Parts: sequence; structure tokens; C-alpha cells
Amino acid sequence: MGTIVELHQDPKVSEVKETTDLALFVRTSNEDLVTWNRQRIVDALVRETLVDFDTAEAISKEVEEFIFSTKISMVTAPLIRELVDSKLIERGLEKARIMHTRLGVPLYDVDQMIVHPNKENANVPHGPEATNLTLAEGIKKEYALLSVFSSQVGDAHMRGDFHLHDLGFIDRPYCSGQSLEYIKRFGLNLPNALSMAKPAKHPEVLLAHMVKFAAALQSHFAGAIGWDAVNLFFAPYLEGLSDREIKQLAQMMIFEFSQQAVARGGQAIFTDINLYWEVPRHFEKVPAIGPGGKYTGKTYLDYLPLAQKFVWLLFDVFKEGDGAGRPFFFPKPLVHITEKFFQTPNHQEFLNHICEVAALKGNTYFVFDRGQTAKISECCRLSFKLEAQDLLDAHEPWRMRYCALQNVTINFPRLAYQAEGNDTTLFAKLAESVELAVEAHLQKNAFILKLLSLGERGPLSLLTMDRDGSPYLRLQRATYLIGMVGLNELVQYHTGEELHESQKAIKFGLKVIAYMKLLTDRFSQKYGMRFVLEQTPAESTAYRFAKLDLQKYPEQAGKVIKGDKAQGEVYYTNSTLFNISAQMNPVDRVRYEGLFHPLIEAGALTHIWIGESRPDKESLANFIIKTFKLTKNDQIAFSPEFTTCRACGQTSRGLMEKCPYCGSAEVDGITRITGYFTKISSWNKGKIGELRDRYRNTPYFSMREAVSPGVEEPT
Amino acid sequence: MGIKGFIETSFLDWPGKICAVLFLPYCNLRCPYCHNHELVLHPDRFSDFPWDTIQQRLEVLRNWLDGVCITGGEPTLHSDLPELLDRIHGLGLAVKLDTNGTHPEMLEFLISQKLVDYLAMDIKGPLDQKSYGRSAGVRISIPEIKKSMEFILSGRVAGEFRTTVVPEWHTAPVLAQMALELKEAPKWTHQAFNPAQPLDPALRVERGHGFERAANKANGS
Repeated sequence: MGTIVELHQDPKVSEVKETTDLALFVRTSNEDLVTWNRQRIVDALVRETLVDFDTAEAISKEVEEFIFSTKISMVTAPLIRELVDSKLIERGLEKARIMHTRLGVPLYDVDQMIVHPNKENANVPHGPEATNLTLAEGIKKEYALLSVFSSQVGDAHMRGDFHLHDLGFIDRPYCSGQSLEYIKRFGLNLPNALSMAKPAKHPEVLLAHMVKFAAALQSHFAGAIGWDAVNLFFAPYLEGLSDREIKQLAQMMIFEFSQQAVARGGQAIFTDINLYWEVPRHFEKVPAIGPGGKYTGKTYLDYLPLAQKFVWLLFDVFKEGDGAGRPFFFPKPLVHITEKFFQTPNHQEFLNHICEVAALKGNTYFVFDRGQTAKISECCRLSFKLEAQDLLDAHEPWRMRYCALQNVTINFPRLAYQAEGNDTTLFAKLAESVELAVEAHLQKNAFILKLLSLGERGPLSLLTMDRDGSPYLRLQRATYLIGMVGLNELVQYHTGEELHESQKAIKFGLKVIAYMKLLTDRFSQKYGMRFVLEQTPAESTAYRFAKLDLQKYPEQAGKVIKGDKAQGEVYYTNSTLFNISAQMNPVDRVRYEGLFHPLIEAGALTHIWIGESRPDKESLANFIIKTFKLTKNDQIAFSPEFTTCRACGQTSRGLMEKCPYCGSAEVDGITRITGYFTKISSWNKGKIGELRDRYRNTPYFSMREAVSPGVEEPT
Repeated sequence: MGIKGFIETSFLDWPGKICAVLFLPYCNLRCPYCHNHELVLHPDRFSDFPWDTIQQRLEVLRNWLDGVCITGGEPTLHSDLPELLDRIHGLGLAVKLDTNGTHPEMLEFLISQKLVDYLAMDIKGPLDQKSYGRSAGVRISIPEIKKSMEFILSGRVAGEFRTTVVPEWHTAPVLAQMALELKEAPKWTHQAFNPAQPLDPALRVERGHGFERAANKANGS
């Protein structure tokens, strides 16, 4: 629908105008001034709503009468529309009013947007592209709530019972995962593109295709773009290259993805690269595709040494950081730790290497794939477990394309407020919420299906392109995510204890999540779709829910809400995480948070905030091995903090008000917001509140010199 | 001997290992740069951790921990140290001992009884009376220090030497001299001096290892 073009200039119609003596002009959305013509109101009402002709006539006359009575000489099209809408309301024609409504933005808001940065997503910089994105998102969001979703679903979102993520991207799926094999085999041959490229013959060209394709995908998905086994699939292009040349490619890849803040809305492409030290079992015997899209005659197992060299050098680049020594924000490297990892020679050296990067820069994500499960990860923590059909697809890896269609996050603490301590009510409320979330998914699914049905000429042509017998977007393999915010506060309000305070509280938390999983499993069966639990990153949702609940449930929320109420820096604890400020040693945090992870199929993560300290890399490696062997934890990441100076360009460890090198106050703090690193100046207030609260594990990780035994004093 | 501090899991005190750390009170030295001086001068300001609590936590974390690091203060001042180390071994955990090396007899006893698995000994400065005394804040018997060093140098016990580097004292020539004296050492670790709250407040001025002073000079202040 977009901007509604109203009162089109049409010379034929304007000639039969009735109000000749009045010099009333209308400013139309077509950048035209036309003379008043009542008929256009009638036409619009009949075209856009189900109102009958006589009513439309009557309304148009009333509006005309009113406008003339004011003696103004210039009206705008939006004003006329609002006047018509008020007449529809007077007649009780609510449905017609909604259909006839105008989506738009007040002048003041646009002014604010152009001048001030967007704080809902810290990955959106401030600039003309960003303003465009915010404006477009604003209108599409309104459109989605009025036109894609039922009023029941829309109202639940507005009230903050749950949050429909990325409403501004209503006409796209949520996130996408694929491998390099698609572009290696088919080249860059996109619908509506100005030119087509045959499969790459050189590694630099493959990299260029990867970056272009990622940008194309970014404009068709709301969120993350994930790449599977990047080091392995790149390996056939690295034959015969020197270490220096391979390092150069590693550097190019990381810089390309970290500097893409010139694409959609000035937003960096949220890129995840999945990396392996071994050749995953399901790719071992797969014929490798090399330069020119041709089979090299070898299998991927033969490329193990090159794949290992590439991944090692990628981490060398991460270790160095950008030109100012800062950590790269994107791409995010996810290293899969599997049973086979430990059987692969030199895994210990590699583990030490990536642990050093984790300690120095924080980039490394450790993804634990235990047993025989194979996973592909994308987004902050979203991962897909490969099933039987996927393992068949693995023989032709370009077929392995996955997406999540949408993410709906439930406001958990509110359920507890409504249940008033009653278990039965709590679980009934949870069931209602999940059911409504499923409803939201069905509605978005129907909408996307409608767009996809328009095929290669439709708006989602990229997703319908068919190069291998099925459309790029394999909707039948899509997942539908249901997340949660504030399990900790739900448990706290309902039982009186936070998750970290007692085993009883943990047990109750597990009961809630297990029930939620049971519900999604049931709906999956019922609809033949995959509804899956996810730990929503909830960068702004944790703040939004907290703010809304302080208004709607001030007494209840006041008891459990986290952050600084006086400063308005309030938040709920994300997903199933434990209190951010709880003084838990990292072992306990990984163990106890990990208990929830097997229930959260679409992926879960434990954050370990390490602040300014630098743990020993080998001790960290030791910790990773034990986490794999002794817990059910799905994924961990370590988050250091940095201060980068705009005056002297130096980057130092820790968050400081002044640069320790030159003393300048022109500094930016950098650390992980949810699933990625950003400058703290771009954070919303809720996240700032969380940042202040983060327990940085100081006694565990910092130089012993900094340990004051006083903090360990028993209370 | 009361246990004044307890870190359940440290990733820093024993390279490559995850260990718990126990802090024991009192010290016979007065290193001006000491960061734990509260523990040295006013141990009574800290309450004791009951052994039962510690044992219970160590047992819970048993699969995760590789050992326990005993530090202080100076642990070898306590005559009941052997008993504590024995109790830790009894839980199946290895022991790392941090010492300033002023009590070689105690070390001899602990090592002969196989109560220490890893010994980390502080080397305060070059092995001459004047330099060492300045770093330690008291008069030091160099022969005793050398006796203690011998446990590690001879390989009787696995271990390393450690030096807290104070930029003003441990200049390049001083470090070169020390390197010569420690050339047989299996490992010599440098630790950065933490200027936040040293025992001698005069050292506090040296904050930021000169960066700030350089900046102040540049700003003309």
C-alpha cells in the first residue's frame, strides 16, 4: 500500500468541477495542486472500502460543506482523509474507517528522526539511509498491524502481551541460513539484476559474490544472514595459494562484512559465519565444488588442511582487530565444538587460539553440538538442528537453505502478574499466549505466501528464483519462533525467589519452559509447521515490556523489574537468563542456565561478561572442554569491554570515561549488546540499565592483583 | 589460621587450569606495591570462611576444578599449612602454592611430603640486599631466598618464578640482570603492577604507567 496517493490529478475530472467560484486548492500526494473536487472523496471511499455509493455521496457533501464553511484556501489530502474518517466514525463505520485510514508520520516525528539517531536497533547508524529505513519501517509496521494481523493479534502486540518482531519488515521472512555452495554452483544470477555472473573462478570473485549475495539477502530478510561451514566451502578456491595470500583473503572477508554499513538503511549485514576445525561428518564424502562451479574430483574431506589453515588465519585477523585494534562487530564467527572436534588432530592448539581471541576481543562463539546432532547457526543464537532430510540434502549442499519466518516474544512477567500466584491461572495464561503467538505466525505465513505466489515478477522474486528444482526459499522447511522475555521475573513474582536464589526456583522455571515446549510441539503437529522456542535477543523488547508493565502493572512490576527506575533505565532479564547482576561464578552460570538449553530448540546462549579482565587462554580452553563434557549448555560467548578514543585513535580495555592514552573525553565504549558488539552510545535506556548491572566475574577473571578478598567476605 | 578469601573458580591463577583460590592472612614482607595489604595488615577486618563451607563448594565443583591455589598473604607463615594442603589433596585436588620464598624449611617439609604440586615463587628484584630489600620493604636474607629458588631450579617441584613489574624500579637493565639470575628457570612470569590501591600510597601517583603523566606534560600541567 505504501503512501496512499489521493485525489489523483485527472484533467477530465477537474473540468467538471462544481465549485467554480471558490479558489480552493488541494495539495495532493502527487506533488500537485488541484482544484477542489468532491467526487474524489466518493471515488476513494468506493474504491477502498465497502461503503455504498449513497453513503459516500453523503459523506463527501458533509466534508465539502465543512471545508467551505472554514473559508480556507488550501487543504492537504491527508486532512481531507481525516475529515472523511471522522464522518465514518460518526456513522459507526469502524471497519470502513480502518480500510480508509492513512498511514503516515507527523511532521514533528520526521524532524526528530532526521535529526536524532534510532535507538531501537543499535545496528542502525544515523544517516539519511537510516532515516529512510525508520520511516519505511514505521509505515509498514502500521500496515502490518492493521492489515496483516487480526485485531486480536495486533492489540496483544500493542498492549505488550507479546512482541511481534520486525513488523517494519512485514513483507520479508525473519532470517536466512545457507552455504557458499549455492553461489559456487549457480554463480550470481539474481532475478531483476542488471547483469548475471557465472560461477566464480577466483577466490576474490567468490568473496565478491558472497558479499553481493548477502546484501541481496539482507534486502529480503529482516534479520541475520548465516553461512554454513565457510572455511570448508571456501577451501577448494585456496589451492596453490601461499599463507600470505590466504591471510589476505581472510582479512578481505572480515573487513568486507564489517564495513557493509553502506547497504540497506546504513545497516551492517548481520552476518554469522559457521566454522569447523574438522570436516563435519555429513560433508566428508560430498564432492567438492571448485573454481568455475566445477567438481574438483575430490571430496570435502580432502580439503581439511586448507579449511583448517583458512579458519586459523580468520582468527588471526579477529585477534588483530580493525585498523584501530577494536573488535570486529561483524561477521560473527561461530565455532562448532563437536565430538569429532576432539578427535581431530591439533584441536587443542586451535581451541587455545580461538580462546585467546575470546579473551582479547570476545568475537568467538562456542557452539556445542553434542552426540550426533549437526547444527547450523545464525542470528544471535538461532540454530537449526539438521534432520534426516537435511542430511540427505547435505550431499548437494546448495540445497541446504533454511529460514525462520517470524519471531514472536511473550511477555512472561505479565503472565505472573495476571496469575496472582495461582499456578493453574499462570499455565492457562501461558497457553493462551502461545496460542495467540501461533495465530500471529499463521497470519504472517499467509501474507508471505500471498507475496511468494506472485512468483519471479512479485516483490519476493529473489526468494522464488528456482535454480535447482525448488524455490530459493524453502517455506516447508521454515521455522516459526516463539521466544520469551523475563522468565527470571516471572519466577520471582510467582514464587518469591529469583532463578539464581534456589533450586526450587530453577525447577519452577524449567517447568514453565517445558510446558511451553509441549505447547509448541502440539501446535507443530496440529498445523504441520515447525513452531520452536527461541531465546529472543530482545534488544529493545526487554525494555519495551518493562516500560509498559510499569504503566499497566506498576505495583507488581515495581517489585521485580530490573535496572534504575528513577533514570528510566528499566529492563526485564532476557529470555531464560539468570539475573545479570547475580554474583555467580561462570561455572555455575554455564551449568544452571544450560539446564534450559535443551528445551530451547532454536538455540540458546550463556553470556559471560568479563569486563576489562583477560582470562588465561588455556584456562578458558579448559573451561570450554568441560562445558562441552559436563553440561547441556548450547552456546557460550565471552564479552570483554573496550574504550576507543576518537581523539588519538587508541583502543584500551575496560569502559572508561577518559582515554588512558591521551586523556581525551572523546571516547566510545564498545561491548556486546545482545548477540553482537556495538558502541554503547547507540544503546537504548533499558540496555544501558543492564550494562550497569552486569556482573563481570571480576574475582574469577581479572589479574590477581586486582582481587580484593573483601568482595569474597561472607555475608 | 583463618581462611580470609575464597574464589570458587579462577581462570587466571594457574595457567591452563581452573582452580579455586584460598587467601591466607599475614605476611612478613611489606612490598610497597602490595595490592592485598588489607589482608597483610588488618586480617581481623575479614571474617573467616569455615572449612566446611569451602569443602562443600569444592566438592560441588569437583569435576570442574583441577586444583586449589593457596595464596595470601604469605601461606608459609602458618604452621598448620601442611594440614590444609593435605585436606585439599584428600578431596582429589592438586595444590598450587604461592610463596615469597622466605621460609625454605617450610617449603622443604611441604615438598618432601609431596603436599605441593606446583610452586609459584615471587622474585622481587635482583638478588642483592639493596634491590631486594627495597622491593620487599624489609630486610631480606638473600641466601634463604636462593635456597627456596633451588626447589624449582633443581626440578624437585614443578613451578615458576613471578615478578610484579613496577615500571619505575624494574627498568630494562634491572630486568636484564634478573633474567641472567633466572636463566635456569623453567618459567618466569611478569605481572603488571596494579596501581589502584598499593600499600605505599606514594606509588599511587604512578597510575597509568606514565600515560597520564605524559598527557599532563603535553597539556602543560
